[in-house]
Amino acid sequence: MFEYQWRTVLAYWPDYLHAAVLALQITVVGFLLAFVIASAAALARNSRSAILRFVATCYVEAIRNTPVLLQIFIVYFALPSFGIRLSAVTAGTIALGVNVGAYLTEVLRAGISSVGKGQLEAAQVLGLSSRTVLLNVVAPQALRNVYPALVNNLIQVLLGTSLLSAIAVPEITGVATVVNARTLLFVQVFGIAVALYLVLSYGLSAVAALVERLSFKSPASRRARKRTSAPSLTGASS
Amino acid sequence: MNVSLIWQSLPFLWTGFLMTLALAAVSIAGSTVLGLAVAALRTSRPPLLRGLGRAYVELFRGSPIPITLLFVYFGAALYLGYGVNLFVAAAVGLSVYHSAFIAEIIRSGIEAVPVGQHEAAQILGLKPTQSFRWVVLPQTVRIAVPPLVGQYISLIKDTSIASIIGLAEMMKVGQSIVDRTGDPVSIYLTVAVLYFIVCYPLSLWVTRTQRRAI
Repeated sequence: MFEYQWRTVLAYWPDYLHAAVLALQITVVGFLLAFVIASAAALARNSRSAILRFVATCYVEAIRNTPVLLQIFIVYFALPSFGIRLSAVTAGTIALGVNVGAYLTEVLRAGISSVGKGQLEAAQVLGLSSRTVLLNVVAPQALRNVYPALVNNLIQVLLGTSLLSAIAVPEITGVATVVNARTLLFVQVFGIAVALYLVLSYGLSAVAALVERLSFKSPASRRARKRTSAPSLTGASS
Repeated sequence: MNVSLIWQSLPFLWTGFLMTLALAAVSIAGSTVLGLAVAALRTSRPPLLRGLGRAYVELFRGSPIPITLLFVYFGAALYLGYGVNLFVAAAVGLSVYHSAFIAEIIRSGIEAVPVGQHEAAQILGLKPTQSFRWVVLPQTVRIAVPPLVGQYISLIKDTSIASIIGLAEMMKVGQSIVDRTGDPVSIYLTVAVLYFIVCYPLSLWVTRTQRRAI
């Protein structure tokens, strides 16, 4: 009988597969959006202009102190009142990007301040323009130093996609809810969903580790990882 | 923004707000007790228990919280029959999920205390339990409390996810009002402000104490 139950739920594998692909797409696009927002906000928080600093601080604090589910609802249900109508997938991706962007802002800011002052002074003495300093001196070192936290935030976007079931996006949790309503085999239904999330999150971590090994070849990366990995456990969690 | 609608909705939002606070309080207590137990497993000597603790932590860190809540809710509905107490289901789900993160915070707090401290206590003639209680624990608490409060903030925000199983906490109450009045802007922004009022002071405290610790 048990085998029959699993077979019943596994018959829905095409739905689960589509759901996993959709979740992965939303994760990648949402994380890129978060990264772009966070880069701008981190620069704004370190800028000389008080207005830019204030706006960026408001963004970070407003997002970090309200639930992500509420933010998703605001983007999907409240923006149409201002004439901005988005599909559920687009709204969800934007909401997750904006949400994780706030956490990522703090990560990038920590990364920027982890770059030694001597580096900046040396770059200045060499006569590099401020743009070159930012892109070629600060950014590579900052990203290397906070890489584990970046990966953490990527996983946060993936896990956040499960909330999009609340606005009827057919991602993994949404599909699981539908299959559960049809079969009532909740152990199998949610067991498969959890397995998918675990495979995706460990898969993304593995890909990220590979990217790290290929792009940061210096031995400093290994030292940096050891230094940042312990506190990052307590960090981002939506 | 419709001020009179917000004014009329406040009594309803207030009941949801109280429900949110009650759910958060119970879940914070539950997740801390469970988290301590899991941290004890993870720092214990038998490899099997350690592995069990690790598996627990990895399971929840790699899966999203709505799944945990739905699993508890449907599990309770199937085995306990009708009339599942939504509050209890939500509190159990939130406690179990967040205990995995709390266990990690406590474990890294314990491991952050240098071994020399323990050794020194032993040489001074303290028993292992005494050395844990009087030497390791006070230092662990100082290290672990700021990130612990950070985790509690996440938990408070995550109580909003109890709305997906239908518990009438603040998020769900807000949704019902929006369904009836069709004004998502006013209501959701009010709800956001109410969450912010609870979470922001805690966040400020965490940033301040963490800065002082460094």
